[in-house]
Amino acid sequence: MNGRRQFMAILRKDLIRELRTREMIISMILFVLLAMVIFHYAFSVKEDADLTYFTGGMLWVTFIFAMLLGLNRSFAQEKDERCLDGLLLCPVDRVTIFLAKTAGNLIFLLIIQVVAVPVFTLFFVSRSYVGDLPQFLVVLLLADLGICALGTLLATISMSTRSRDLLLPIIFLPLIVPVLIAATGATTLIFAEGAGFGDLLARVLFLLGFDAIFMVAAYGTYDFAIGE
Amino acid sequence: MKQLVSAPMLFVGAGIFLIVGLLLAFLYAPIDASTMGYSQKIFFYHAPIAETALVAFGVAFVAAILYLRSQDPKWDRLGVVCVRLGLLFSALVMATGMIWGKAAWGTWWDWEPRLTTFLLVCFLYVAYFVLRSVVEEEERRATFAAVFAIIAFIDVPITFFATRFLPAGMHPTVITTSGTGMPGSMFVSFFISMIGMTLLLVALIRRDLGVEELKDRVADLKNSIGG
Repeated sequence: MNGRRQFMAILRKDLIRELRTREMIISMILFVLLAMVIFHYAFSVKEDADLTYFTGGMLWVTFIFAMLLGLNRSFAQEKDERCLDGLLLCPVDRVTIFLAKTAGNLIFLLIIQVVAVPVFTLFFVSRSYVGDLPQFLVVLLLADLGICALGTLLATISMSTRSRDLLLPIIFLPLIVPVLIAATGATTLIFAEGAGFGDLLARVLFLLGFDAIFMVAAYGTYDFAIGE
Repeated sequence: MKQLVSAPMLFVGAGIFLIVGLLLAFLYAPIDASTMGYSQKIFFYHAPIAETALVAFGVAFVAAILYLRSQDPKWDRLGVVCVRLGLLFSALVMATGMIWGKAAWGTWWDWEPRLTTFLLVCFLYVAYFVLRSVVEEEERRATFAAVFAIIAFIDVPITFFATRFLPAGMHPTVITTSGTGMPGSMFVSFFISMIGMTLLLVALIRRDLGVEELKDRVADLKNSIGG
């Protein structure tokens, strides 16, 4: 099998497993909706407060925390059922495993975003940003890729340790702050001010650079992260 | 192992440079003309400590790469020692930075790019030790720690860059691409403090490495007698 077919096989396996149980997606979507409600109560400090300026931040905080949940789940199953050992015994390049896992996590994140973004918009954003959707989608995809690539690498490490789901947030959150800063800034500019690509150029390039750097770093270190 | 300079000599050297640097800072360098006055003198320690912390993390980064290439435990030891010292120096950066901030801006904390970056650096490298503490098997611990040290060090400049997207802060930009922006006498004092601080780092690394080696030997001996 060549790399592309291996990649597709691993990705398909992850998607099928999730479609059969749906436990990860459902809990992630519920988490996102609950987070929205929590944010609503946490920020309702005065009547008719306009939360447009805070929506970008709420969204990205929610996505990052939801991703933590998802990452923990996706690797816990691999480990508990010893699927990973089987996968490692196959003549598959470790980097292919990384790419397939990242793609799988990206798809899950996109699914919850399809639910979350409209709902958050409906509840919190006071102006329509339909015309600015292209730039929002670019920001969303670039930030997602960074979150998933870094998240997959770190989840691979944390799942092989004694305190898996406790460790992941501690090593993941400080590393993801740059993406949070850039993505939140860009999203807020789009939601609140309808910023175009010109205004967002620096942030978009930054996210692109972040993705590229950490894809390369993960490419170089994944062999060691997955072990054996 | 025969060393070029003995460890105590390094400490003495560091001490001399640091004291001379301090004396020069107070007696030779001009008093800051702006509102900062004498409080600006903390800069002669604050900036060298910051630079030394980054050097320590840089050495840990190189040691991590060397470890992954060779699987030689000595690089892991160097990595641990450097990250620990880097953290110590980072804590000092935060402390001196906050004192200076209070004197110069009237506030202990400002969400300003450099200060924020150092705060995140502290969190990152504390996480490094948390990661080490939850992996029992030695080789695996060293490998994971090395991967994390590489990723963390790459993240530091990226974080610094990202914090530039935040609303502007108050930190003075002393060294820019166009020069240092320091009068000569200030630069000499600063430079001597910097040498002193770097020597101190080297001395501490040397000493801590010795301690770590001994720890490993004790562990090996214990294992060999079945303890």
